[in-house]
Amino acid sequence: MPDLRDEHDDVLGRAFDRRLAVRLWLAARRQHRVLAGALVLFPLIAAAELAQPYLLKVAIDDHILRADWLGLTVTAGLFALTLAVLYALRMVEAYLMALAGQRVTHDLRGELFSHLLRLEAAFFDRNPVGRLMTRVLSDVEAVSEAFTSGLLAIAADVITLSGVVAIMLWMDWRLALVTFAIVPVLAAVAAELRIRARDAYREVRRRLAVLNGFLQESLQGMTVIQLFARERHERAQFRRLNADYRRALFGSTVFEASLYASVEALGSVALALLIWYGGRQIVGGALSFGALVAFIQYTNRFFLPIRDLGAKYTVMQSAMASAERIFGLLDRAPGIVAPARAAIPAVRGHGAATPALELDGVWFAYEAGTWVLRDCAFRVARGEHVALVGATGEGKSTCARLLIRAYDVTRGRVLVDGVDVRAWDLEALRRHVGTVFQDTVLFTGTVADNLRVNGARDAAALRVALETAHAGRFVDALPRGLDEPLGERGVNVSHGERQLLAIARALVYNPPVLVLDEATSSVDPESEWLIREGMKQLLAGRTSVTIAHRLSTIQSADRIIVLHRGRVHEEGSHSELLRRRGLYARLWELGHGAPAA
Amino acid sequence: MAGALCLLAATGFSLAIPWTVKHAVDALQYDRAPVLVYVALIVVLAAANGAARLGSRFSILGAGQRVDADLRDALYAAFQAFSPDVFARHSTGDLMARASSDVGVVRSLVGFGAVSIVSTTLAFVGAIGAMLAVDPWLTVCALAPFPMLVTLARRFNMTVTVRTEAMQAQLGVLSARVQETLAGMAVVRAYTLEPRAAAAFAAENATLLDRSVALAAIQARFTPLMSLIAGVGVLVVLWVGGYRVAQGRITLGALVAFNGYLAYLAWPTVALGLTLSVIRRGLASMARIQEIVDAAPPLEAPGEPLADAPSIRFAHLTFAYPGRAPALRDVDFSVDPGEVVAVVGPTGSGKSTLGLVLARLWSPPSGTVFVAGRDVTTVPLGTLRATVGWVPQDAFLFSRSIADNLTLGRDGIADDAVRAAAADAAIDDEIEAFPDGYRTVVGERGLTVSGGQRQRLALARALLGAPRLLVLDDVFASVDAVTEEKIIKALRASGRTMLVITHRLRAAQAADRVVVLDAGAIVEQGTHEALLARGGLYARLWRRQQLEEEIASA
Repeated sequence: MPDLRDEHDDVLGRAFDRRLAVRLWLAARRQHRVLAGALVLFPLIAAAELAQPYLLKVAIDDHILRADWLGLTVTAGLFALTLAVLYALRMVEAYLMALAGQRVTHDLRGELFSHLLRLEAAFFDRNPVGRLMTRVLSDVEAVSEAFTSGLLAIAADVITLSGVVAIMLWMDWRLALVTFAIVPVLAAVAAELRIRARDAYREVRRRLAVLNGFLQESLQGMTVIQLFARERHERAQFRRLNADYRRALFGSTVFEASLYASVEALGSVALALLIWYGGRQIVGGALSFGALVAFIQYTNRFFLPIRDLGAKYTVMQSAMASAERIFGLLDRAPGIVAPARAAIPAVRGHGAATPALELDGVWFAYEAGTWVLRDCAFRVARGEHVALVGATGEGKSTCARLLIRAYDVTRGRVLVDGVDVRAWDLEALRRHVGTVFQDTVLFTGTVADNLRVNGARDAAALRVALETAHAGRFVDALPRGLDEPLGERGVNVSHGERQLLAIARALVYNPPVLVLDEATSSVDPESEWLIREGMKQLLAGRTSVTIAHRLSTIQSADRIIVLHRGRVHEEGSHSELLRRRGLYARLWELGHGAPAA
Repeated sequence: MAGALCLLAATGFSLAIPWTVKHAVDALQYDRAPVLVYVALIVVLAAANGAARLGSRFSILGAGQRVDADLRDALYAAFQAFSPDVFARHSTGDLMARASSDVGVVRSLVGFGAVSIVSTTLAFVGAIGAMLAVDPWLTVCALAPFPMLVTLARRFNMTVTVRTEAMQAQLGVLSARVQETLAGMAVVRAYTLEPRAAAAFAAENATLLDRSVALAAIQARFTPLMSLIAGVGVLVVLWVGGYRVAQGRITLGALVAFNGYLAYLAWPTVALGLTLSVIRRGLASMARIQEIVDAAPPLEAPGEPLADAPSIRFAHLTFAYPGRAPALRDVDFSVDPGEVVAVVGPTGSGKSTLGLVLARLWSPPSGTVFVAGRDVTTVPLGTLRATVGWVPQDAFLFSRSIADNLTLGRDGIADDAVRAAAADAAIDDEIEAFPDGYRTVVGERGLTVSGGQRQRLALARALLGAPRLLVLDDVFASVDAVTEEKIIKALRASGRTMLVITHRLRAAQAADRVVVLDAGAIVEQGTHEALLARGGLYARLWRRQQLEEEIASA
């Protein structure tokens, strides 16, 4: 399994890899008709293209120099025919190639995105969103380029080149060999400059990524820069990165421009060679004028594919690197999957004695060796309201994540309704245990879209949830109420209002078990009180686990579990814990400035 | 301009080659003479042409790149001068787009656009001149199809532009969809929204496919046009020119040269449409960039702090964000030097706005907000910000080391001072525990720190500036009670003027005085005790808390 963390986006390897090619073929297989259509067109296009210089030769030698007006008209007619045919064929060819490429892109993109949705939370911890976006957006495009600008274009060039070589040898093999003399020079120059240009482009991309990364952070943290009057300092840094980028860009321009200039110059040298050698042949009567003119034309068709071969090689290389990354990602099996015959335990199937939730000797580490939970064990009875407390970083949120199997325990078991979460059907588990997060994510769409998490269509149900979460008043105040679109940064709703929406969303979701992860921490006391009133109704008949720093918000819990150093330090009711004068009592005292009664 | 001269020379050399070929062919046909002198001339012309072309590219594309760098730099400077309202109106992506795509488009205007206009003009003038010199009649015939083809190319090009933009807009929609889904995976997972996310993606993806194929369809018709244009020219020269050669009006060499000239014209002709669209888009992008650059106020110099412990005064301050109802209404209170005042109130009561106008991240109306007796709208920004240390609720960390995040490159900050500020913010032990201590890289591309750690790092950053006036906007929201107490103790000891915006009444109790806001207006103010005695909103909130504690402690 390739380690997605260590790979570098710009490492180029071979331009062709058989294993990858097979995978690519499998990805493109559905487009085989389109691809076959394009392939059939190549020889036809080459034939029409190569007929033109020959028609020129015939016209000059047989008609113009012999003043055969009728014959010239016929040949010109034939020439016009090749033009029309070529235009039509090229149009169809370009369309088919683009169609195949775009469809492959579309399919791969969809497959990749669906696959990402199946991957577990630990994967997303290690792979920043930006990198995954590159996979889904640009890498996929690079792969489709492999078909259109890479493989297929190379095939077309090879067919044309073979045709040109054959026809030149057939017309006059000596003159052909004179022309070919320039090929090694051309190939060497093109290859050398192309490699340098490629390296230069890589440098350009690297510099640009650094520059844009810096710019993006500057934009996000502009307030900080302004508050501390660091504008000049930051701008000097930006200017330095900007200059680095410009230098890299100019470097790539040098090689690119040199390539085009030297190929053009070599083309003229080939022309000179043809006139020099061909001229002597003509003087000697061994060559016709028409043949010389046709040769000049053939030489032109000969040059461009060789010049661009390097570019195509680079396209293939980067496509293969992209393909490697894409397939590496697709091969990355989801780390958390439901077993083939997953249990969907029905609540009534178990005795009331079965705990709704249970952590049984759980050890857990996000990164090997750094234990967040060490032998953590507790039970939550059906209908019980439990609060998890403890200092920051003691594993409270981790418990919440383990309960919905966002992560798998390292050791021990997590049981929901007496069944190990690893035996549950994943969707059933997550419908059973709902979560309200501290960082409330809203998605593009209307308020109603964001609330409809249960396939609920009924606006009345949404209203009830909004009222219960005390979000009804502010939603009504929005210009379009439930149909108000939520902006990118949710600018039209405040932090507190977002939390109210998140609570309403959980109400719509209506799970038997609710995990509240610091949901009410940044709502003001007034709203917090209102929400808690609503929560009482929500929690009725449900099992709940609340995670909060605010000790006063969890006093209504049936039981409080104090986590410390990754395990349960003490548990009991609020008054029991205060009487014990342990860790909880100390937390309470510090939080409230008065010794516990 | 050196670039234009090089281009002129290159065009001249290029056009001289078909002319030399003509003479070579004529010499072959009529004199049956060896043509070595022409061959040598072609090689020399080719070399000279290559050199001149390189020179023109370097100077013109180089100029484009310099313009690109300068514009980007000007944009960056403009971004720095903007107040938060600009950032509220424009998303980061939008501003990024101006700094990357728009700047890139202008670069093509200055680079490719300039090369293209000059070389197209030179090519047409030169080639047509040369052709007229050879045979005016044939020139007219050969060029007859061009206007039609140019019109055709332009029409295609306009459609290509429209469809490209449609495709790119959809790509933007798709990438926004991917970004928000991946960033919100925790919620997607918890609410089993995977099928919905997949369906939404599939719909956008299908639209993108449709638009891409629509673009490909028009491009497929456009691209082969170039060889068609060249081909039609060759056809006319072959047929009409061949007839004239047969009639003996022109030489065979002239016919060959004509072919060369037509081939030379094919690309500029097709590129004409492209050039025009590059110019159009370049000017539009330039306008968008200019809009930003022109809107930027000049950058102000960093200044010296005002007083040792400045006072604050809000004088009948009414403030509204653009297009919204007033966030603050007739707010009137002051904070004496060295005094600690807490501002409490429900969410959306306008608490945070007080901090924003005090640091002048949003400008208040003049004559409403005073620091050390001076109107903040007349105090130079540098001076104001050297005086006011404002710590926001959502602190931003750059992808740099912790030390860099704290010092922000400010000169003359000793390591000891960094450690002391970290200690005051109660984050020193945690920093030491990070893999590389103060050199640990944090932020998006570094180690992820918790919300509470981020807030305390931001506090340490503010303390390092030794501000005379500290404005804390709910900075303890993700900090536990133990830590909060430790920090407040350290801060109170310094004797600074402090405005503590909070919705934790315990923190308010520690202040000298409390101002209670509701719906943007002060509903009451006074000491904790006085407010309790008053029996208003504060007392209600406090009593509710007390009641809960009593019930709980019973």
